[in-house]
Amino acid sequence: MKGHAAKARQFLSDNERADWQDKALWAVRQKRDVAAGSVREWEQLREQASQIKENVLSNLDNYLLQFEQAAIQNGVQVCWAEDDRQFNETILRIIRDHQAQKIVKSKSMLTEECGLNHFLEKEGIEVVDTDLGERIIQFRNEPPSHIVLPAIHLKREEVGELFHEKLHTEKGNSDPTYLTAAARVHLREKFLEADIAITGVNFAVAESGTVVVCTNEGNADMGVHAAPVQIHCMGIEKIIPRTEDLGVFTRLLARSATGQAVTTYTSHYRKPKPGGQMYIVIVDNGRSEHLGLSAHRNSLKCIRCGACMNTCPVYRRSGGYSYGSVIPGPIGSILAPVKQMKDKQDLTFASSLCGSCSNVCPVKVDIHSQLYKWRQEISEKNLFPKAKSYSLSIVGKVLGSNGMYNFSGKAARWALKNMPRRLIYNKLNTWGWGRELPEVPEMSFKEWYKKNGNERKRQ
Amino acid sequence: MNGKDNKQNTEMGSRQTIIERIRQNKPETKPLPGSFTGNQEPVSKEQLSVCFRESLIKAGAEIAEPDGNEGLEPYKEKHFPEAVDLTDTAVRKKYSSEISKKELEKTGTVIIEGQFGVAENGAIWLDETNFPNRLLPFIAERLIILLNKENIVSNMHGAYRKIDLRNTGFGVFISGPSKTADIEQSLVYGAHGAKRLTIVLFD
Ligand code: SF4
Repeated sequence: MKGHAAKARQFLSDNERADWQDKALWAVRQKRDVAAGSVREWEQLREQASQIKENVLSNLDNYLLQFEQAAIQNGVQVCWAEDDRQFNETILRIIRDHQAQKIVKSKSMLTEECGLNHFLEKEGIEVVDTDLGERIIQFRNEPPSHIVLPAIHLKREEVGELFHEKLHTEKGNSDPTYLTAAARVHLREKFLEADIAITGVNFAVAESGTVVVCTNEGNADMGVHAAPVQIHCMGIEKIIPRTEDLGVFTRLLARSATGQAVTTYTSHYRKPKPGGQMYIVIVDNGRSEHLGLSAHRNSLKCIRCGACMNTCPVYRRSGGYSYGSVIPGPIGSILAPVKQMKDKQDLTFASSLCGSCSNVCPVKVDIHSQLYKWRQEISEKNLFPKAKSYSLSIVGKVLGSNGMYNFSGKAARWALKNMPRRLIYNKLNTWGWGRELPEVPEMSFKEWYKKNGNERKRQ
Repeated sequence: MNGKDNKQNTEMGSRQTIIERIRQNKPETKPLPGSFTGNQEPVSKEQLSVCFRESLIKAGAEIAEPDGNEGLEPYKEKHFPEAVDLTDTAVRKKYSSEISKKELEKTGTVIIEGQFGVAENGAIWLDETNFPNRLLPFIAERLIILLNKENIVSNMHGAYRKIDLRNTGFGVFISGPSKTADIEQSLVYGAHGAKRLTIVLFD
């Protein structure tokens, strides 16, 4: 299996597309900045959200039971699934119990994680993804490349071609308004004939048994209210204690995700519709084990806003697919090794540790320090590939010794200036691939400080 | 025991296993913080109104305002003569939960009364007391929400203080027409829900 670096290199070989995606994501990051900046108490909100989530993780068992009890009282059928296999089978059982054929689904990273579509297809059941971006990639047989913007890697011409083939739109017409209108007609039909609607969950309120789903398109609601049976799938960490906590999280989520003040629809489902049936499936799939990893438990606070992806210089220039995991980007690089430490250890290096992810995270997941902690653990367990652990052991020695650090800095500055490029950009030095070297300062910060600091003292 | 019971039993076992594992692995109790007290500066009615309007426009909604002596009823008749007016009891009866999807699909413009608006983001709260059928606000091609100008709160904290979720079967904040930017990040209105949203502010 190819690692992140190899796949990133492949992505970067199409320079124009790489640049285009970089700019598209950066634009979303800038919108996020404007939206966050317009809320004076932004930092207090983040702190509140973080504390609520920490409380939830420390009392998760009781909140889940409280939630379940409220949901049952509301006439909801609650199911529990330990892992992906059990989750998929539970959904299949509900489908069979209702003799359902046609299923629509709005965005749910959990169902991606569990491979639900694939599983149901094998059982002969068609699931239609109704979020426009998800429908596009479903037509293309691709997984999402971003958790909020699933088709961010595609250009309009590619969607135009695809819709021409699948929905018989005009050849060569790739106008987004035209294509969206075609998808609306196509999906309307799917909504109205569906037997069951499946959704993900953004927040589950323990005190009332309500599940909250946020969308811009309205696809969750079209599905849920049109189909006689609704199923909401949630990971155990989606719980929040009180109604008032929704105030905190709804203020943070859309601003962080797309720079909107709020999503177009924030829907609160508590009871089944008259004559309808409502299920909530609570899924563990490794989360309760993750909770036991004290160094990484913090990442369970994540509300899947995608802000850490949009801001990440590595994600922006390597694309969602280079990560090879359901959730890409900085948060994905923390989550993947929880279950697959050996196979996914390279993802912990898909980061410059610049810390931008941690700065934008609305619930204060300490993303970059978690990546750093993973690297340490992986190195202690000796899971590094040989080349990396050799160069890292040198780095360790150099950084550990003051004299060597000062000397090597000087030597590097000399080398950067005086050595031919081909020495730096050779095959052995993987670092040089895809990286341009910085301008070389005349002196190091330390040297500069010594000189200028002394001058200042003299003044 | 048949297969179905068997499956349900393993699910109950799963519940136990999950809860047990959480108990073993969870950290020491961290306190739940009190209610959020952010910016507590008093805001005037005018400020709220200006902010609310700006948020709505940003979200792609239209704002309409019958002038003082026109009155809401004549305004609705003049501007939305064909609309399904859910503030009318007879119409509500017709559009109860039993109405077929085929019938609903034909709905063009729907008028609903909203409960309150949120200044910071233009969201308007509606629940089942405002519509007789849950699909209606979403399946309508065009949505008209009537809102009393007095009913505007500053932010989402104020909004949730007004909502009793424990007694709400289904409720929703709507802040604009349905939209998507999934094709190359270009904004398009009318993805699946209403293509147009008009807020009629009245006294
Ligand atoms: S880690 Fe933080 S920034 Fe990244 S997706 Fe989760 S909540 Fe958003």
